[in-house]
Amino acid sequence: MSDTPAPLLAGTLDLLILKTLAAGTFHGYGIAQHIKRLSREALRIEEGSLYPALSRMQVKGWIASEWKQTPTGREARYYRITAAGRKQLGQEEADFKRSIAATVRVLKLSDA
Amino acid sequence: MSPREAVLRVVAWLRRDRLSAQLAAELETHADLLARDLEREGLSPAEARAAARRQLGNVTALRESSRDAWGFPVVEAVLQDLRYAVRGLVNAPAFTATVVITLGLGIGANAAMFAVIDRLMFRPFPLLRDPGSVHRVYVETTVTRRNAYPVIPYTRYLDLVRSAPSIRQHAAVSEWRVAVGTGQASREQKVAGVSASFFGFFDIRPVHGRFFGPAEDQVPMGALVAVLAHDYWRNTLGSRDLLGQTLRVGSLDYTVIGIAPPGFVGTVQGRAPDIFIPVTTVPANIEESSRNTFFTAYNWDWVEVIVRLKPGVSEAAATADLTTAYRRSRAIQRETNPRVLPDSVAHPRAFIGPMRSAAGPDAGMESRVLLWVSGVAAIVLLIACANVANLMLARVLRRQREIAVRLALGVSRARLLAQFVLEALMLSLVGIAVGLLLAQWGGSAIRQLLLPEGSTFTLRTDWRTIGVATACALAAALLTTVAPAILAARADMTASLKAGARGGTYRRSTLRSALLVAQGALSVLLLVGAGLFVRSLHNVLRIPLGYDARQVVEVYPDFRELRLGDAELRATLNRLLETARAIPATGGAARMNSGLFRSNTAQLQVPGIDSVEQLGRFNVQVTSPGYFDVMRTRILRGRAYDERDGPGAPLVAVVSNAMARVVWPGRDPIGQCMQVTWNASANLPTDPCTRVIGVAEDAASERLTDERRFMYYLNAEQMGGGWASRILVRLNGRPTLAERERVRTAMQAAMPGNGFVVVTPLQDAIDDQSRGWRLGATMFAAFGMLALVVAAVGLYGVISYTVAQRMHELAMRVALGARSRDILRLVLRQGTGYAAAGVAIGLLLAAVASRWIEPLLYREHPRDPLVFGGVCAIMVGVGVLASIGPALRATRADPNRVLRAD
Repeated sequence: MSDTPAPLLAGTLDLLILKTLAAGTFHGYGIAQHIKRLSREALRIEEGSLYPALSRMQVKGWIASEWKQTPTGREARYYRITAAGRKQLGQEEADFKRSIAATVRVLKLSDA
Repeated sequence: MSPREAVLRVVAWLRRDRLSAQLAAELETHADLLARDLEREGLSPAEARAAARRQLGNVTALRESSRDAWGFPVVEAVLQDLRYAVRGLVNAPAFTATVVITLGLGIGANAAMFAVIDRLMFRPFPLLRDPGSVHRVYVETTVTRRNAYPVIPYTRYLDLVRSAPSIRQHAAVSEWRVAVGTGQASREQKVAGVSASFFGFFDIRPVHGRFFGPAEDQVPMGALVAVLAHDYWRNTLGSRDLLGQTLRVGSLDYTVIGIAPPGFVGTVQGRAPDIFIPVTTVPANIEESSRNTFFTAYNWDWVEVIVRLKPGVSEAAATADLTTAYRRSRAIQRETNPRVLPDSVAHPRAFIGPMRSAAGPDAGMESRVLLWVSGVAAIVLLIACANVANLMLARVLRRQREIAVRLALGVSRARLLAQFVLEALMLSLVGIAVGLLLAQWGGSAIRQLLLPEGSTFTLRTDWRTIGVATACALAAALLTTVAPAILAARADMTASLKAGARGGTYRRSTLRSALLVAQGALSVLLLVGAGLFVRSLHNVLRIPLGYDARQVVEVYPDFRELRLGDAELRATLNRLLETARAIPATGGAARMNSGLFRSNTAQLQVPGIDSVEQLGRFNVQVTSPGYFDVMRTRILRGRAYDERDGPGAPLVAVVSNAMARVVWPGRDPIGQCMQVTWNASANLPTDPCTRVIGVAEDAASERLTDERRFMYYLNAEQMGGGWASRILVRLNGRPTLAERERVRTAMQAAMPGNGFVVVTPLQDAIDDQSRGWRLGATMFAAFGMLALVVAAVGLYGVISYTVAQRMHELAMRVALGARSRDILRLVLRQGTGYAAAGVAIGLLLAAVASRWIEPLLYREHPRDPLVFGGVCAIMVGVGVLASIGPALRATRADPNRVLRAD
């Protein structure tokens, strides 16, 4: 396990956010923490890209949000995935897996 | 972008301030949670907060980039440019006003011309179904004076449509002005006699009752039923329930059976009809003598024919069909009238043409002049564009430093270009508003000159005209941005920035010079056109008429349903004549048969000449004795007819000088024999001689400009009853409204029954004849002056600008000993140089173009040196005038002040 987080693959931010929200509702900080935790701290989401991405995805109708109380009694905006978001997630996940598999194949063959 | 996303974006954009606040709160939460976790990892609260802040980074930038999701970044950039453009234009009010007014004039001229031409020639009739397949039928022969003519006998209509397989729908239409109602309530209204099939051409249903059907439109006489136009029913009859009631239309009583829907005007060119009646009831109503023959005889041209072609039938096929039918019809006609010329001589043709007769083959001179004038309007717009382009160039030159600064700050040239286009578009849009206002105002004047009375001219709801104005404005925006955009895109940043506040040294811009010269040349072109038309009009107005109609009014008695016998009618007409003569302060009265320029012909035979017709067309006028005195037509030889030439006396005639010369060349016309036959279908004349007793000066009777004034006059006293029912009254002054009313009241009192009289100045008919030239002269002159003013303003602007730019150099010259006179000459030479170049090119263009308008001129050479020279002088004069102000300013160049300013 390295101390410096791995760079986020281009285009995977939306996928990670959608996948996270498919597991439950989170506020922004929660999403970042969730991804960090599941990736064993290998992936770190920049706040500078997280919030614009959330705004964008909301306008696209993939996610929805509402203001709720955190367990500690703070006001926070909780995001959840929509039906359109789930469709998008399935699509992006499949695309990503195919793309990764292909990339890995190329890397392996080139090494051989 | 999906529609759903677009909607969400719009919603987000509308709520963007709230969203922004929420995001701020969200980031606050984020920072707090982060700090709490960091604290848990062992940092002090203060350190944890600072670290959290650091990690969050530039919150403003973050919020900015979120904002992009909530709206339309491109739109917002445009909005920003728009605000910038508005600010720039508001800050330069003089520039903005000049541009907007110049463009407004250009756009307005085009909008007004289009609105008029569209109404006259192109606009489909409202509610007409599939207007593309509906046409008017025209007939022509090579021997008739007018080449193509849309008005034919009803019998001919029946012949044409009976055997033309390419026609799907057909109808005959005939319009009349007749009195409607009874007693005091009777008014003259427009009545359209139409076939029952006519209503089927339109997508309409009656708002009340029904339309008439084929059973009610039959020969020899249709049913007396009437359909009222919606406007007439609502405005004049007060929307009363009239179905089943009786209405006196003309001389017959009609039963009202239906009310047409609003907006339905039929296919009438002028004022919309008020009442529609079966066309087969018109003869009995209006032309009693034809009531039993109108569907078998060919002697009365009174209906126009509209047809709808079957789908897929070409115009050529329809014309071939109709021509065959027309020839067959003439063959039938020849059976009863051997004088109908054989096809080999007359080359008869029937064909389909435009519904609007102003766009058709028998369109008058006005239509052709109008098309030219709309070309002129386009040139005015071009000149306006050149002027605006020039102003914009000057503005770019003035803003060179600002543009350089913006380029240096990283504004892309594309964005810069977009800003120019936006600025031009905004100016054009305001130009549309100004233009439409000007068009509404100026167009009303043109309308009075051109459009039939009662036609609407509201541009506010006229989308066709607004569309054209918008197209003009867009074209103008495009044309005016090209030059400044090129200049701005080429702007040399470093040079401009280095040059300092003085802003560039004087440099003559070829582009600006070219624009100026082009403006001048186009103005010259228009002024030459104006000159040629003004001279033509002058020539037309100087044509000797052979009478003096200026103080004469025509009284036309309408006897309506009164059926008078020959003797009765003659007695009534003579009683009316006596009444007219007795009106105080008038200079005599007489009766005549045909209105001015509504000439009439009869079969004329002269012993010793095979065919008089081959010599030309001889018009006949039937008058009472005294006609020549009232009209001031001089008798050159012999005498006019008088009391001596009564019903029992030998038949006499007066002939025009031109006729005498062509029929009896080298012989004394007095005492010669003419044989006049009225019924065209009768066989060769057995009439006794009508002897020539006098020769009158030539009088204009056919067309004002007709050189061949072959005319003979017969004495109404020696003819049957109905002749010469128009009564001429000579007044002692101009026929003002009050004078006309005085005559009308006096004459009305003498009318029997429900009859009434209509009084019109005789001069109206003459003015009608010169309308084409008047129109050309007025419109060319108005647009020419407009162009001249615009060009002069442009020249003034450029000279002022160059003088301002050259102040430094001019001051230097003064310091080196140049006198005021030298400076004056220097600047004036530049101004007149532009004018002279414009004149040279313009005159060349005019010399080529004027040949095309030659057919519209009257006794005017298309390269009249007087016109060309005059325009030349005007342009150079304007050049001097436009540059004199700046030149005088230049002479005040004070080397002390100007040079020290640096």
